[in-house]
Amino acid sequence: MVYDEPIFRTLGDTAINVEFGDESSIPINFRILAVDFALREEPPKGLVETNPQVRTLGLVFDPLSTTRDHIVDHVKALIAAQGTVETLPSRRVIIPALYDDPWSRECAEAFGVRNNIEYIAEFNDMTVAQVIETHTGCDYWVTGVGFVPGAFMSYAMDPGKRFGAPLYRTPRTWTHARLLNFGGLTSTIYPIRIPGGGQLFGRTPIEIFDLREISPSFADGPVLARAGDRHRYESIAREEYDAIRAEVEAGTYEYRVEEGTFDCAGYVSWLAETGEPAERLDPESTWEPA
Amino acid sequence: MLEVIDGGLRTTVQDMGRRGGQALGIPPSGAQDGFALRVANLLVGNAPGGPLLIRDDPGAAGLELTLGRLKLRALQDHVLALTGADTGATVDGEAVPCWTSFVLREGQTLACGLARSGARAYLAIHGGIDVPLYRGSRATHVSGGFGGLEGRPLAKDDRLPVGAATAEVAELAGRRLRPDLVPAYAPPMQVRTVAGPEEHHFTAASVEAFYATAWKLNPKADRTGMRFIGPELSFKPGRPRYLIEDAGADPSNIVIDPGAPVGTVQVPSGVEPIVLCVDSPSIGGYARIAIVISTDMARIGQVRPFEETRFVRISHEDAVAVLAAQEALIADPDIII
Repeated sequence: MVYDEPIFRTLGDTAINVEFGDESSIPINFRILAVDFALREEPPKGLVETNPQVRTLGLVFDPLSTTRDHIVDHVKALIAAQGTVETLPSRRVIIPALYDDPWSRECAEAFGVRNNIEYIAEFNDMTVAQVIETHTGCDYWVTGVGFVPGAFMSYAMDPGKRFGAPLYRTPRTWTHARLLNFGGLTSTIYPIRIPGGGQLFGRTPIEIFDLREISPSFADGPVLARAGDRHRYESIAREEYDAIRAEVEAGTYEYRVEEGTFDCAGYVSWLAETGEPAERLDPESTWEPA
Repeated sequence: MLEVIDGGLRTTVQDMGRRGGQALGIPPSGAQDGFALRVANLLVGNAPGGPLLIRDDPGAAGLELTLGRLKLRALQDHVLALTGADTGATVDGEAVPCWTSFVLREGQTLACGLARSGARAYLAIHGGIDVPLYRGSRATHVSGGFGGLEGRPLAKDDRLPVGAATAEVAELAGRRLRPDLVPAYAPPMQVRTVAGPEEHHFTAASVEAFYATAWKLNPKADRTGMRFIGPELSFKPGRPRYLIEDAGADPSNIVIDPGAPVGTVQVPSGVEPIVLCVDSPSIGGYARIAIVISTDMARIGQVRPFEETRFVRISHEDAVAVLAAQEALIADPDIII
């Protein structure tokens, strides 16, 4: 559900979460990113950091130089003045990937589960070929960056191509870097070798997190993804994977990043035309938002 | 310069952490017990920095010893101080007190044993450990491979560069923290929290159990998160069905959310609440029953495996007052005698 008014939740002494709803929703994320841009341009006194995500804007503040109420009032005023989000700065990033790759298979074998892409196919009543076709068939909107250094969360922009698979019940103790994976409807890539519970289905030869900071396309230092990016995956064969990987390691690979602006209002109208509801509701639910 | 003879169980270079990384997935890192590191720095005449996250001042870098054990040799005269967990430290076999600065002469060896009380010891050196700053801090983040000494824990034969001295060795030795301010680390540790954003998803009985239980620390605890063993907590019925597809089938699953950078208490599947610590993820997907106040993350950092912790709920306003009182204390020159 999308709340009529965002809920301001106080987290301890130094953080506030501004929660717009309880579901993942690209239109909600447009509003969050617009507020975030405004806050970054003119931060109120005492605001330390912002962390925009799919349905919530995270704020860190210094309670010794401002108060929770000052920050809340400032953000409420921004939201009240916001209106429809017409456009947002948005880059389009092409991510080449080897689907059904040997490293994802190796991880699955090491943890005694079946090849994850076969599970994803079965869970969605698809063939493995359809999984690849669907995942490469539309842009993914990056709603926020985070989790571990360089990780991001993204969602299919075409509701007809939205799919995924549930996280592992017990997370793996390690995952190879650069593996594509689903956690529910969230599509992401492990930037570094870490534990994790995502269903693995491919590997990209490009870096998502690169301490060498050699590509000018990296958004902020070592991180490729930026909230508001549109990612498009491209299925490549093993030879091409190896060739791109060699270029990335040599530092000569040119990341395929196009600067641009996205027509958010046009997208929201298009979503409505596809029959996508503006919010998801469960009339039988007795959970209160607060 | 200091030479590492034995790096111990897991010793890392830490300061008061890295700011501005939340929206990049880069955690603050820094000392798990910020109070102990800041006092150690004050004792040796360094900038204490902090508090974590809210000030752009990492202070001087020192070492964080996990459960103790470390052996270092001085390659020149240095003033040092050990705080936090008591490791029964010696200099060439002679005991040195905690929370007091001392001189380590060229050629002498400092040996720290296993922690006797508390879980993390801090070593500060006059001049600070002079590794390069990465994004404004010298704090080590091991899984990301950055900060500190090559982004990793210390190992035998490492050399630790030390920043230039600005005071005479004799002036700084023998300074100690006012005795009434030395923490006891006696279990059960009292940790103050503010109600979490999903407290209302838990049954009233479970919220009550959370605050009534003496939780035992799961020994798999680290700087990412600390899990606590105790009763299973349950969720109210009537969860919206669309969240099954969007967030997961378990009632503890929520759609990705930022949470607090440190101190968030998640309860996956209602089992073993996890306090997210200084190296924790910048987002999460589990219901949060409480948030540990920033000041008390220092106490969390000193809980030993299987030791008991009790959570105590306070208001946001009281949490801010606790932080203000701590900052006044750190700024008070009379706490060092």
